[in-house]
This record gives sequence, C-alpha cells and structure tokens, in this order.
Amino acid sequence: MIHELKLAKPSSLDEVKRILSSENSKIIAGGTDIVPGFHIESVRFKNISSLIDINSIAELKEIKIIENEIQIGSAATFSSIVNSKIISENLPLLAKAASQIGSKQIRNRATIAGNFINNAPCADSIPPLLVYDAEILLESEKEKRRIPLAEFLVSSYKTKIQPNEILTKIIIPNRYMNFHGLFYKLGRRRGVAISRITFAVLVRLENEIVTDFKFASGAITPIGKRFHEIEKTIIGKRVNEIEVKLTSRNIGEEILNITGVRWSTTYKIPVLQQAVYQSIKKLLSGN
Amino acid sequence: MKIDLEFTLNGKNVSIETEPGKRLLDLLRKDFKLTGTKEGCSIGECGACTILLDKLAVNSCLILAGQINGSDIITIEGINEADVLHTLQQKFLEHGAVQCGFCTPGMIISAYALLLEKPDPSYEDILNALEGNLCRCTGYKQIISAVQDSAKEMMQD
Amino acid sequence: MKKEFSVVGKPVIRQDGIEKVTGKSKFADDLVFPDMLFGVMIRTDHTHAIVKSVDYSKLDTNKFVIVNADDIPGSKKVGAIVKDQPVFCNEKIVTPGDVVAMLVGEDLNELRKAAKSVKVNCEELPVLSDPLKALDENAMLIHPELGSNKIVHYPLRKGDVDKGFGESEYILEEEYSTPLIEHAYIEPECVTAFIEPNGGIKIIGSIQNPHTTRRVVASVLNYPLAKVRVVQAELGGSFGGKDDTMNILSARAAVAALKTGSPVKIKYGREESILESYKRHPYFMKYKVGFNSDGKIKAMKIDITADGGAYASLSPYVTWRSVVQATGPYEIENVHTDVTAVYTNNPYTGAMRGFGSPQPIFAQESIMDEIAIRLNKTPVEIRKINGFKSGSFTASGHKLRDHDVNLFSVLERASDESDFEAKWNENQNGKSFDLFKRFAEKSIFSSEELLVKDDEFCDENIWKNGIGLALSFRGCSLGAEGIDAAAAYFSLQTDGSAYLLSGLAENGQGLRTTFSIIAAEELGISVNDIYYLEQDTGIIADSGPTVASRSTLMGGGAVKNAAEQVRKRLEIIFREKFNLDEKEEIKFANHVVSDYLGKVKIPFKKLVTLASSKGVGLSSVGWYKGPDVYWEEKTGQGEAYFTYAYGCQVAEIKVNIITGEVYIDKITAVHDAGKIINLLGAEGQVYGGVTQGAGYGLWETVDKVEGKIRDLNFDQYLIPTCKDVGDIKPIFIEGEEKYGPWGAKSLGEPTLELGAAAIANAVRNAVGQRHRNLPINLEELILSRKLSPEDLKRGSAV
Repeated sequence: MIHELKLAKPSSLDEVKRILSSENSKIIAGGTDIVPGFHIESVRFKNISSLIDINSIAELKEIKIIENEIQIGSAATFSSIVNSKIISENLPLLAKAASQIGSKQIRNRATIAGNFINNAPCADSIPPLLVYDAEILLESEKEKRRIPLAEFLVSSYKTKIQPNEILTKIIIPNRYMNFHGLFYKLGRRRGVAISRITFAVLVRLENEIVTDFKFASGAITPIGKRFHEIEKTIIGKRVNEIEVKLTSRNIGEEILNITGVRWSTTYKIPVLQQAVYQSIKKLLSGN
Repeated sequence: MKIDLEFTLNGKNVSIETEPGKRLLDLLRKDFKLTGTKEGCSIGECGACTILLDKLAVNSCLILAGQINGSDIITIEGINEADVLHTLQQKFLEHGAVQCGFCTPGMIISAYALLLEKPDPSYEDILNALEGNLCRCTGYKQIISAVQDSAKEMMQD
Repeated sequence: MKKEFSVVGKPVIRQDGIEKVTGKSKFADDLVFPDMLFGVMIRTDHTHAIVKSVDYSKLDTNKFVIVNADDIPGSKKVGAIVKDQPVFCNEKIVTPGDVVAMLVGEDLNELRKAAKSVKVNCEELPVLSDPLKALDENAMLIHPELGSNKIVHYPLRKGDVDKGFGESEYILEEEYSTPLIEHAYIEPECVTAFIEPNGGIKIIGSIQNPHTTRRVVASVLNYPLAKVRVVQAELGGSFGGKDDTMNILSARAAVAALKTGSPVKIKYGREESILESYKRHPYFMKYKVGFNSDGKIKAMKIDITADGGAYASLSPYVTWRSVVQATGPYEIENVHTDVTAVYTNNPYTGAMRGFGSPQPIFAQESIMDEIAIRLNKTPVEIRKINGFKSGSFTASGHKLRDHDVNLFSVLERASDESDFEAKWNENQNGKSFDLFKRFAEKSIFSSEELLVKDDEFCDENIWKNGIGLALSFRGCSLGAEGIDAAAAYFSLQTDGSAYLLSGLAENGQGLRTTFSIIAAEELGISVNDIYYLEQDTGIIADSGPTVASRSTLMGGGAVKNAAEQVRKRLEIIFREKFNLDEKEEIKFANHVVSDYLGKVKIPFKKLVTLASSKGVGLSSVGWYKGPDVYWEEKTGQGEAYFTYAYGCQVAEIKVNIITGEVYIDKITAVHDAGKIINLLGAEGQVYGGVTQGAGYGLWETVDKVEGKIRDLNFDQYLIPTCKDVGDIKPIFIEGEEKYGPWGAKSLGEPTLELGAAAIANAVRNAVGQRHRNLPINLEELILSRKLSPEDLKRGSAV
C-alpha cells in the first residue's frame, strides 16, 4: 500500500536540523524498520506524514578515529561497519554483531542508529555498544548534547531523543586493544536469525588478574543493560578465584528480577546461564 | 503530492513523476513494467524483490521512491546483453538451480552483487550473500554450486 | 536386452529456464489486462461467529462494487469431496481466513482502505480449537447441517491384534504429534478472470490444477465445463498448496468479472496467503506395538486424529494414504488402525507434499528405533527383521510383487554410505544430559528452580553428534482415491520440430522438461526440438490433478504413448521405403532413423517430410491409464496402489545441549524412484524435499491462538535458509518396474517424508532423549515441550 507522505532528501546536516525544528518529521535511513512498519500498519509509524532521508549526508556515514575516540556516523550501514578496518581492529564485538544482523540486503541498508533508535529489545548492536561504553551525540538546530548510550535508552521503544533532534554519531573510547570479549547470539535458525538471546562480555586480563570486566544483556531483557554490581564482584580477582557458576547464576537471577516470569522465561533463563557460563569460562581461560 | 525522480535504470537515464511514498518495488514493476523483480513477503524477509542499488543488493520492497533520486539501479532485466546470458544465468541453468523460478531473479541479483564485491568468494561468503533469499523448491545446493562455478569461470575471463 | 538411452537419465537443462533466469517468465501478477479491476477481501476478526449484518454505509458505492454470495448464479459452496466451503461466507464464519464479501474497484490502495470501512456485525460462537475434543458429545458443531464434526474415519483390520499383543514379550505405547505446516511457496496467490469474446469465462492464475479450477468455477457460475477456460500462468511454487484456495479465488474473480464486465484480478500478499490458504494437517498419533526379543513385531495398534480445520478439502484422501501406510514398510501379522479426520475452527488443511505420509512416518520410524534400543539391536537390524521383501504382504493385505521391492537395497545403501552402524553405536554410548530430565519432569517452575545448579552447568563439549535413519514405502500416484489416467498431446511439425502438452501441470518441478525428454527419447530427437505449450484446459484433456508424485509416472506414460503413436506411423513409412519386414526393429536416435544394425538410414527430418507428403497424420493424443486397484472400506484391505517407491534417509546432526540448537551436518537420501528421466531435475527434487523435511523436523509450525494464526509472514514462520542445512547427498537406485515410462515411478514426495523422522532419531541418538512432538525446536529440546504465550494464560509457566 502506498503510504502518503512527504519525503525530503537534504544534502546537509543543517538542513535536516532545520526541517526537524520546523515540522513534525521523522528520519529515515535504511528504512528496514519503517517501511515494513508501514506494510503491517504498525501503530509505531501510523502517524508519520513526513520523512527526512539522511542517506545523502556524507558525514553521517563516516567511521573514523579522532584522537582517542572512534566515531561512527549514525547512518553508517551494518555492511560498512562489517567492512571497516577501524571497527574490526578496535571493536571486534561490534563487527561480529553487525555481521549477524538480518541478511546481506538488510545489512546493506540498515544503519547503526536505526537499529537502536527505537530501542527495540532485539537490537543486536546494543550489547557491544554498552560494553564499549558508547556515547551518542544528539543535535538540534540550537543544541548538541552528548550522553552515554545506557542513559539514552529509557525503556522498551522509548529513548531520550527529542522530536527536533537527530542522532548524529556514536562515539566510543578507543581503548580496547588489550581486551578480549565475545558477542553471543542465539536465534532459532542460522540464516537471518532474529535474536532470542544476546549478550556481550568484555574482559581485560593482566597476569592472571581480571583488571576489567563488562557484561551487557540484549534480547533477554526488555532493554539492553549493563550489570555493574556483578561486574564489580569480578574485577580485581585472580582468574582462579572467580566463581563462574555463581556469576552466571547471579546474572540469571538479576534478569529474572527485571523481567519477571514471561512465557519464554522457562527456556531462556536456564539457557542464558549456561551460555554465560561457557562464555566467561572461555574468556578467562585466555581464549 | 508527487515528485520528480531521475536515476539510472539498467544503464539508462530515466525520469518519472511519482509519489515519494511508493515502494521502489512498485515503481519498477508497475511504472517501468520490469516484472522480473518479484514480491514474496513485503517485509524484507524473502529477497524475491532484490535489486542492485548503487552496486549493493537491497530489498526493493523496503525502499521508498523518494529515496532513490540520483542512484544507479540494476534489475534482473539489466544484467545480460540481448540474447547472451550472463555467466550466472547460464550456470544457474546448467546446475539445475532453477525450479519454479520465482526466487530466481532475486537470487541471481544477490549473487551478482556478491561477485562484484568479491570475485573469488569463499563458501561462507556465498552463504552470507544468499541467506536473505528464500527458496522453497531447490534446497539451495545447486544454487550455491552455480555461484561457485560462475566465480571460477568469470575469474578466468 | 537393456535399452540404451540417449537423453533419458542424463542431466538436462530446463525447458523454461532461460525465461526464468532473465526475469521474462510471466507469473500471474506479472500479467496486466486492459481495464483490469482488483478484488479485495472483507473479513472479520472472528474465528467462529454468525454474521448478523454487513454495514456498507461508509462505502462510496460509486467507486466500488460489492460482490457477495447473492451474486453467485450457481453453487454457493464448493469442495473437492464435501461441498462445505462457501465462496463467500455471508451467514457464518468458521475460521479466521473466511471471506464475507469482496470489494471490486480500480485502485488497490483505495480498495484496501475502503475494505476497512465495511463493518461486519457478528455474534460470536464458542471456538473449537482442539481436534481431540471435536467428537465429544457436547462439542460445538462446525457445520451443524452435517450432523457431526467427523470428516471421515478409516479403519484397517488385519489379523487379531489382541492375540498379537498376547503373544508379544514386549509392548511399547507412545504418543506423537505434528504441527500445522504452511506450504510457503514464495509466490503468493494471484488470479485474473475475464469474459472472452465468445461469452465464456477465462481464468489465468497461479493455479496448480487447471482442470479442478475449471470444475469449481463452472459449478459456481452454473456454466458448462467447456464454457470455462483455465490457463496456468508460470507457477511460483505450490507443493500441493495452490488447489482449493486458488479454485475459490478463481470463482470469486469470475463472479466479479461477470458482475462488472471487466477483468478482475485478485492478488494476495504474504499475510493474506498464510491467513486463508489451507495447510498440512496436524496429526495426533497413538502407537502401540507388541514385539518379541528376536525383534519381530507381532502387533500394531494405531489411532490417529487429523485436524482437518474448518473445511474438509482433501482430508478424506490425505488420511486415506495415512491408513494404508501407517505401519510403515514392515510386515506385521496383526494390525488395527483407525484414522479419523475432524472439523475444528482452525485453518483448514488439505494437500501438501507428503499427503498424509510425513506424520505417520515420524511416529512409526521413531517407535522402530525405540524397539531397537529396547532390544539392544541397531536401527538397521530391527528394520531388516521386519521390512518388506518381495512377496511380503502390506497392512492392507497387498502382496508385493511385479516390481523390485527395493526396501533392503535403499536401507543398506544409505547405511553403508553413511557408515551408519559404527557412528550410531558410538553416539549411543553417550549419556543423557541431566538438566533435560529435570525440565522434562514438569512444566511449572518457580524462579528458584529456573536457576542452574552447580552440578548442572555443562563442562563437557556442548555439541553432541547424532545419526538417525528413516525408511519408507510409498504408494505411487492416486491409488484407490480415484480414477487414475492422464492425457498428452504431441504434434510433430513437417520440419521435425514438435509441440507437446500434457494434462498435468508444470508447478516448478520441471515437468515440461521431463516430458520433453520422454518424447525426445522416443523419437531420437533433441529436447530442444520440442516446444512445450501453455497449460490450457481448452486444449488438453482433464488428466486428474498434478499431485501424488504422479506426473512422471502417469503424465510421462501418456507422453510416451503419444510419441509412440507417431513413431509407429513413421516406422511404417520407413519400412515401406527400405522394404523392411515388420519384424525388423527400427532405431530412432540422434536425429537419424535406421534399421537395427544401421545398414539403411535416413535423417529424421527427411522421414518426417516423406511421411507428411504421404498424408500421414503427425499429431496424436496419448493416454495412460493406471492399472486397477481396489479398497475395501470396512476392513481397510486391498491392493491400494499399483506400485510403490522405496526410500531411506540418514540424518547426521549435532545438538547443542545447552541451547537446544540442532544443526544438520549431512543427509544421505537414497531413493528407488524407478528409472530416472532427468538426473538434474531428480537431484533438485531431493535437495528441495530434504530441505523441506528439515524445516518440518526443526523449525516450522504455524502457531495459533483460538484458531487465529500468529505467524503470518516469513519473519515468524521460519523456513530453512541456505545456511540451515549442511550436505545433502542424493543417491538413486533404479528398480525394475513395468508401469510408467521405462519404469519411472515417484520421487517428489518420498524426498520430503523421511527427513523429520530421521532427524528425530538422530536427536535421540545424540542426547538419549526421545522427542515426540514436532518441530524439535529450541524449547522442545531443552524442556521437552513447546512454549507459547498461551502458556502464561494457562498458568503453566508461573
């Protein structure tokens, strides 16, 4: 069905901001969420009458290192993230998550900000970005603000973005050379899998001591989330002192506290604990 | 409200006046009568509507007409010269990679995009390129070998 | 002497291939007609309700035409066996796909909006969604006028099961179930109807069985058959699925075309396709088997309930195949089988590739492995002890003779090829994973119980290997379901090129190519000399439906017969020319006609020209009728099918014991489909069928709540992608067979029916646990049950 709407395709960021400040318009990049949303007549997109396509704005597609930070333009596609040396060398968990999103056709269109801008629980980019302590830059005609991603994500399908703002960049400190980690994704099928469970773990091991540890959940909690209290129980410990089973169980327990018992919990919680156990065990062994 | 669009379609410059909210798939099938591009699911899951947009495989059901001004679009009708099949098309036939044929145009375009990007793809690369094209008839095996064989032959040329 | 083939059995490129790879093929929605209108359906939100009134007050009636039951001049209800399905449901809704009326207009967009302005006022009725309650005394009747929710019941009685169980040292009883399955052809339904200049009606669409569609449209319009012409557009997959639904859509389009005078197209999107189209039956199966320590099965008692959904469709035929084959390819003295199909408010079910065989094979092959394990035998041994040999009697009392009973050949070949027994024995020694046991014991867990205990964390390799096999026999073609005959038209042109058409239809499987090979072989010409005509009921005789893996056998037989008739006429001219007597064998090969030793010869073209100049008719209609079969309804005894195909598939898998993921490393598929006509096409059937079987085993299920489908598109209904199945190895064993073209039998369905059973047995081998309910998805593997949002409502996942 043809969705009746206005569609602007500005070539500069300033123009985007101007349009956003003057009318009720929504940004479209890959369209891989919005267009099928039109098709199924999703309530989330029902009242859209004006769109701004940001694909012509080169600066929103760039991936670059500036000083000690990696900046990813909000309209960078997952294919460009997968193909970026900057990402694969410095943020391998993000590269891994990006490579498993949707199909090739989707990765060629879907953008990183588009993946989490609506804060859907199954956004695969969230767990890596959270363990990398990503921040985001929001810009409007009058203002720029930079906030941690964790703060930006408020609740399911709700973020801190204002109607006149555009998310322009994802900014990640470039300091993970000595970390190793993994992105875990479980889907029902190998090809084009929609996530049932995702999480990311990032560890720094120095002389058998865990000097840093980060864990973020994805498709298992209503919104992606870091587990700071549990992280603290591990940081500073020697590898052989860490109770991996207890840690895995604690993560399971905390997730149960957040989600309560849902129809899928009976399966997901035990499997999550096992997968977390395997993952942490593997990382602590130095693999 | 209609807008004017100009873009390259199968190597030719074209222009048209259309609704910005119309899907690229409908623009191709209805306005340009290029019915080789198929609609199987309308939500980007089956890949039957795959076309090449600026050298990348994309689902034309997920793109709005208002987004394509100035781009370069290639459909299944645009990959071969008149009367001469593209290597991929020939290999699809030789390997029995076609049954009902409904997924075939999208499948060939996905493979075409892959070989543009990686002329010597690994088995893994082929699976990554084709996972978004559903086929219910063939079980994919003959499709995969057709793509492998095409790459081999095109590398020799 | 064995015939030497020049084309048959070789890999041949598809006849319709070039159009398909260039995007030129015209599928139903690619066709546009002048002044064409569109039809859009009006449905309700109900599963079961009485339609009180339809409010069109907000509709712009200048723009849109309403088409409903009042516009139907003939039959208002249709159905292949029971006429229980209204073309438009103006009185009652019995399942969510039901259509109350249709709006016709110029613009699809406007039509879809307008359809939403129509309000259907309904009075809700209680919903019957559990087929096992359909025959309860107080059950709500889906079609009260029929007096019962029973669609059909087939008994089969052989020997005395009570005596058999009495003589058995062991008895096993198990229950199995299979889910509702969507065909998932990639092309959704589409059809256009228009009035022809001669006043007849023409239908063109994504139609599996043009002659069946013609019959339905003619009955709805109250037209003679000859006044309705049905043409098949290029068909984007069917797998049994573009029959009833397409007949009804064609009838609606035809009624609308008559009312408006314009061509009317109906085109479904994926959601509407899944919502309204019929599916594969869920089966609920109880198997009881008695056997002795030597492995010999003494008795089998089977009770199957099939969920027919809201309409009978082909349930009576689907379940009939089940009753014939439910005991599998095993000779059992005492058998007592009951198969019952019932009405519910669920989406209706009918023909789908396999047609009543994948379900019982899953149960029967699972229980065969359980018997083997109980007796410390291997799956191969237990099957050899009980399997059919030449001269064996089937459960329906059919003595197998007249053809090679290749059951042992396919079993041995599959087993050798995969090194089955060594691998099976090795995996069988592994122990079962403890966490599974705790979760399988009950379904309600406290938060505390969902936490993994220290000794339950997995410290071993999380991937476990498994190997499993499944074995089947399958009756070829329709059997005692109905009249089994087919036609073909062959017309040789004066230059040696030829037209060919059969009454069976190209559904994507490659029938045009197979038939062209048969005709080319017969006349020693090349496949490229043959031009296959458009499928049109106006040209070719009704040949029964393109189903039951019967095309190569029946249609191929007709094609061979047609080409043979022309060949015989050419032989006469050849003999005349070279003064050969009647006993001399004439050879047609490589475009040359010669005597057997090649002493005298003439180019094929020249012979054709010569024949033509002598007034010899070069066109023919071929006919092939299957041998008679019979069936005794009361006892389920008889020679159900005239011949059988045999198959064995071995699945090698690995199971992730912490997540329940199953990955298929390899499937070895050994089939005796008789003579293989087109090797490339036959291999394609195996790859495709095996992959569909894998989907059946591991992922696919149409989930529904109160009859309403939740999985309406491919983001929810998961069919295999190219990443989901590892190697597939097709192997053909060509048994001798007196029917069909050079002994070609059936292949399409055998390739699909075995996979899920083989996978289930491989999972059992890998993790030591039997899963009795398909699909064996993540939850089934870990929890031994399915999870759905319904669980919370039922309070089972507290």
